[in-house]
Amino acid sequence: MNAQKKDRNNDTPLIEVQSVTFTYGAKDTGRALNGVSFFVDRGERIAVLGHNGSGKSTLVKILGGLQEPSEGVCLINGVNIQEMDFKELRRTIGMVFQDPENQIVAAMVEDDAAFAPENQGLPSRVIQERVDSALVRVNMTHKQDAAVSELSGGEKQRLALAGALAAKIDCLILDEATAMLDPKGRLNIEQALRELHRAGMTIIQVTHQIEAENFDDIQRVIVLSHGRIKWQGLTLDFWNKAEELGFELPDEFKFRRYCGDRGLNFPEDFAEINAPLPQTESYHPEAPAKFSIKGLSFRYTDKSYALKDIDTEIFSGKWLSIIGRTGSGKSTLVQHLNALYKIQEGKILLEGQDLPQKGEEVHELRQKVGLVFQHPEDQLFSPTVREELAFAPKNAGFKGKDLDEAILYGLSCAGLPEELLVRSPIALSGGERRLVAIASVLSARPECVVLDEPLAGLDASYQRKILGMLGKLRDEGRTVITVTHDLDMALNFSDRILILRDAGKIQDGAPREVLETLMESLDPEAWPDSLRISAQIRKVNPTFPLLYNYQELISCISRT
Amino acid sequence: MYFTNVNLGQYVPTGSFIHRLDPRAKLFSLLLIISSVFPSKGVLALGFWVLVLALAVKASKISWGIVLRAARPVMFLVIFTFVFNVIAVSWSKSITQGIFTSLFTASRLLVLMLFAVLLPLTTAPLELADGLDALLSPLGRFGFPAHESAMMIGMALRFIPLLMQETDKIIRAQLSRGARLDQGNIFQRVKAFLPVLIPLFIIIFRRADEIAVAMEARGYEGGAGRTRRKPLVWHWTDTLVIAVCVVLVVVSFAL
Repeated sequence: MNAQKKDRNNDTPLIEVQSVTFTYGAKDTGRALNGVSFFVDRGERIAVLGHNGSGKSTLVKILGGLQEPSEGVCLINGVNIQEMDFKELRRTIGMVFQDPENQIVAAMVEDDAAFAPENQGLPSRVIQERVDSALVRVNMTHKQDAAVSELSGGEKQRLALAGALAAKIDCLILDEATAMLDPKGRLNIEQALRELHRAGMTIIQVTHQIEAENFDDIQRVIVLSHGRIKWQGLTLDFWNKAEELGFELPDEFKFRRYCGDRGLNFPEDFAEINAPLPQTESYHPEAPAKFSIKGLSFRYTDKSYALKDIDTEIFSGKWLSIIGRTGSGKSTLVQHLNALYKIQEGKILLEGQDLPQKGEEVHELRQKVGLVFQHPEDQLFSPTVREELAFAPKNAGFKGKDLDEAILYGLSCAGLPEELLVRSPIALSGGERRLVAIASVLSARPECVVLDEPLAGLDASYQRKILGMLGKLRDEGRTVITVTHDLDMALNFSDRILILRDAGKIQDGAPREVLETLMESLDPEAWPDSLRISAQIRKVNPTFPLLYNYQELISCISRT
Repeated sequence: MYFTNVNLGQYVPTGSFIHRLDPRAKLFSLLLIISSVFPSKGVLALGFWVLVLALAVKASKISWGIVLRAARPVMFLVIFTFVFNVIAVSWSKSITQGIFTSLFTASRLLVLMLFAVLLPLTTAPLELADGLDALLSPLGRFGFPAHESAMMIGMALRFIPLLMQETDKIIRAQLSRGARLDQGNIFQRVKAFLPVLIPLFIIIFRRADEIAVAMEARGYEGGAGRTRRKPLVWHWTDTLVIAVCVVLVVVSFAL
């Protein structure tokens, strides 16, 4: 086997996909992949880009030998993957998937990293060496004795990466591996990948979004659409085609191109620009308070604070974004607003009245204040979309014609067609399911709607739909509250921002008022691209304003 | 806090003497202890086991709070046993005797549960699976899927906390949509719980599917040919612990 492998090393690509087709059940209806062909050379780093439903997850499974293609073959070192020895295949290709929780099998870090070499039947000493070196490569050595439950999401995903590396693989396939992580977690994975690639690892990254930090080292891009390869070529050429192919460029790339086209060096050439400062509009809320929160504290059973002495007002008919790291108390705060958490200390007034805490009044409150949890599509349960949308209004006592109207109202808010009502929510695409889930809260016509990370994991087109919907709800006079890590949405779309840190309030106010506090409390990786760019310009040009909107940034530069 | 603070026997690493014991020794000791607590008749014998339990918890360096919290889901069983016993015994004998016997039966059950809960608290899931695998493997000769059963239990222990969190989140989401989970008779309640159960099952199946794929991607194909980073090694302390347990059992029968 080894001798054979060596002979092929020079001319055969590591992976060769030859007209692969994959069909679910019925022959022509459910084609996930349709005549896909490409190759990957040793040591290459490529990206497979595709929107939800493009067939990329199926492709990942076929590349990993976890799914047999209906037609065509996938060759590894010239050998058909289906005929390859299982152990040999698993020593060649390692995989990292989206949800770190579903890849970690053990409760302790080292035990989990050892899983693959244990399956290979290696002696204990070798297993330990593999574990040690894998943890070094993902920069997790300091956590080697930790329990998995103590790790952050990003650290868990780095452990999953170590788990794949411990099999001593030649090629790493990542399926949306950074989609569930915060900016810091993404950056750490990216650093690990960069070093792996430099050390000669072949890397295939499958993703639906272009991240600035991801794309610097990628040599080739393959664009997948409706099960076919729509485009493939060098990353450099991809940039000119990206928008045409239906991908939004990150602002940082647009800016690089802007500079490139004009022969500008960044940031040196911006030192002399004399840009006018944008007006610092201070916020005079003419709107009455929807919620007045006074001295609200909440403690867990172990006496640690989830919320500490929060004082704030949430204005009626405005859009508030609540920003803070994981564990800062954001979700505990919003779950007080519809009495999912009972007030321990302090006060919440809803339009001047004490927030009800028990009995029938709580049900009335929950109709007034709708709460959409993170990944709400996981909470759908009805056989049809109509029944799903009817659940909340029915519980709120809507009947007959009112109920029908409520269902249609929810549907129209989400911009979904009426044909969808008879469909099963489970059978819809990810983006549609998210919209149905949000509509199923809006159908009860809440005066105030709270959404936890409404854009997480969605394509740009669905993100725009949801942003548009939230803007419309606000314009109808409803109070909108979003809990998010997404500074772009918070700064550019919401009216006010509340910043929480370690269970306490840091500041609240209009986006521009809280901007500097935001920059202090969150790492630059979390900032919108324009803000990072303008902050860099500011270093060489102290009069340059801090901007968080790309159009503003460009118009500010081009005016001079 | 619908489900947030429930710890259903999740591993608590403290690195104590008990944590370091061979899982086979722990499983075997637990078997010995249970088989002797269960038939214990006298208050003295039970008191003796409470003392042993206290020493074991002390040695594990796990706080009583965590141990009791881990046993909370089975408290219902203990209370149910107590109430049922009170009624049954009071019916045939006197109320005082009814309360006394029931208190004794319920405490015996409680002590038993607490011993049992100590096992997953002090043993990492995969290690526990290895131990079960080793103890069950003789049954493999009769076609019993020893490795698979052990792995299943290990994986279940790993994922229980996660599923508790998911359940909590779904309950909150459906309450937000006005679900009335706590009203009506038993049939209405069961029906009202469907909006929680259905999404939960969908999530469980999806997770199970993804975990299976991820395990296959890391080369898992059952127990055959698998080695261990830390193979189970039987130390003299393990033999000592078993010996001590045998002595304890003999003493408790003498009491």
